[in-house]
Amino acid sequence: MTTESKVGKLSDITQIIKSGDQVAIGGSWLGSHPMAIIRQIIREGIKDLTAVTVVGSIDIDMLIGAGCLKKLMFSFVSMEAFGLAPNFRRAIEKEGLPYDEITGLAVIIGLEAGGRNVPYLPYRGPFGSDLVKYRPEFYKEVQCPFTGETLIAAAAITPDVAIIHGTRADKTGNIQIEGTSGSDIEMMRAAKKRIASVEEIVTEEEIRRNPSKTKVPGFQVDMVIEAPLGAHPCSCAPDYVFDPWHIMKYMQMASNPETFKQYLDEYVKKPEFEYLEAIGGMRQAAILKRLGREVKFL
Amino acid sequence: MTQYATDYTVGELMCVTLAKEIEDRDVIVLGSFTPLAYASYILAKITHAPNSTLLAYAAVGFRPFQLSFIRAETAATRGSSLMWTMLEDLNSVHLKGRGDVEAISSIQADGEGNINLSVVGDYNSPKLRGPGGAGAPEVIKMHRKMLGYFPNHSKMTFVPKVDVITGTRYVIGAEERIKSGYRPGPIRYITGLCVMAKEETHKPFKIESLHPGVTAEQVVENTGFKLEVPSKIPETEKPTIEQVRLIREEVDPYGTLEFDFKPGKERLGYLNNILQKELQAIGYD
Repeated sequence: MTTESKVGKLSDITQIIKSGDQVAIGGSWLGSHPMAIIRQIIREGIKDLTAVTVVGSIDIDMLIGAGCLKKLMFSFVSMEAFGLAPNFRRAIEKEGLPYDEITGLAVIIGLEAGGRNVPYLPYRGPFGSDLVKYRPEFYKEVQCPFTGETLIAAAAITPDVAIIHGTRADKTGNIQIEGTSGSDIEMMRAAKKRIASVEEIVTEEEIRRNPSKTKVPGFQVDMVIEAPLGAHPCSCAPDYVFDPWHIMKYMQMASNPETFKQYLDEYVKKPEFEYLEAIGGMRQAAILKRLGREVKFL
Repeated sequence: MTQYATDYTVGELMCVTLAKEIEDRDVIVLGSFTPLAYASYILAKITHAPNSTLLAYAAVGFRPFQLSFIRAETAATRGSSLMWTMLEDLNSVHLKGRGDVEAISSIQADGEGNINLSVVGDYNSPKLRGPGGAGAPEVIKMHRKMLGYFPNHSKMTFVPKVDVITGTRYVIGAEERIKSGYRPGPIRYITGLCVMAKEETHKPFKIESLHPGVTAEQVVENTGFKLEVPSKIPETEKPTIEQVRLIREEVDPYGTLEFDFKPGKERLGYLNNILQKELQAIGYD
């Protein structure tokens, strides 16, 4: 008896992600965002998405710049030391992109509520924050039925689709994540459909050799896609670091809509296999992997 | 006899001052990659706080490492004792108030302990859309201390009232904190000019120490909210020769912590220079 395969190609994401969906995007800061899938969403012209992120960066900025979002839910979007996210700023300051800014813990707890199949979870939340006041559809003060204490209820988040990037998987969708898992696991539990890209697809035997590295079980995954360097220009710790040279180029080209179009033409609107060449080929990949291995402990 | 350095930068002074806030056995959470905060925690870990626990990205209890602009995440991961998820992190550290320190910075801060990382101007038609607070609105409330660092001490940052309260300490006094289920601890800001702290809801921030060469008038002039100015204010302790050596030779030889102190226009050039040095160090030109 053979097990069924959930392995798909990047172009198969259209079977799962539809225009208008709410899509939770894994990864955090400049780490482990599913960038190959993000680029494919742009290539396929999927539109009117509501993106959900905890700590987003170039993933969110690129989707906004390419016109794929109708709305954004986030706690943080920034290019960190490289500066504020240019398309994100422009879309909100000049074009009025609608958004729900939710505190970081409320997004994570909201996803956990979604995964637990309850409408909310209470916590000692951000009392006094204006965000609580501005978004009553995500926050409510609730009374503890046992002690009477006032707590904050974070509303459940149940995305249509979750997309994440992991280290390796087998064909049945068991996902191993060796680096920063962010809120990936909560997103996969909360979402109705789930896609993971991974650096490599390996045998089921190899996954079973280190079962404690498996963070998402196959039954919670609908499609798995092999995408080596699939988080680039973000990192996939501890294998490779983010690509600061590419991010600087992005920051420059995203600084106005005209040059951002050129960025999309040069790097995104071509098949993914040409992307590696465009960003400097095997030599660049080797540098990023080498930097990922080099640590001086004190 | 402690030998103080005469040659040090404001960044190094702030780094050492922030490091002193770390106590041995503290649980220290690192959020976004902020070189000054990272340098302070690592300095504390290799000097007076060897039993502190460092948490960053998904990595728990990682070995202190030499700072790099690019490699903080992979270094923390490779040196970690445990890898967990954000949910495990907040279940284990944040929600029960087990975190001690997670230094934050913000676009605006006011005298009530409010911070703004959201927007400058009106929330619905902002002049500037900031990054958002990530976990800051919650951690400044939950952790034992609320620590902030502000390289640029000015009225642009320290405003009478923040445009938007992204987060707030909310309960400040020791008794109120205990009653609300949190450990008591101050709000303390380390700035380019001074150290100031607030320990009671209804009392203003008090200048605790002035950096060498800075006057109380200078601090008051550059602060948009009311301050308590004691008649005698001590000088912020200068870095020692050994601390400066450790920062420059061990913790941060590439000078990442100075990044926050560079004017916007110089940052890209400075960054390129660091990246070049990092490549050379691993044998690429």
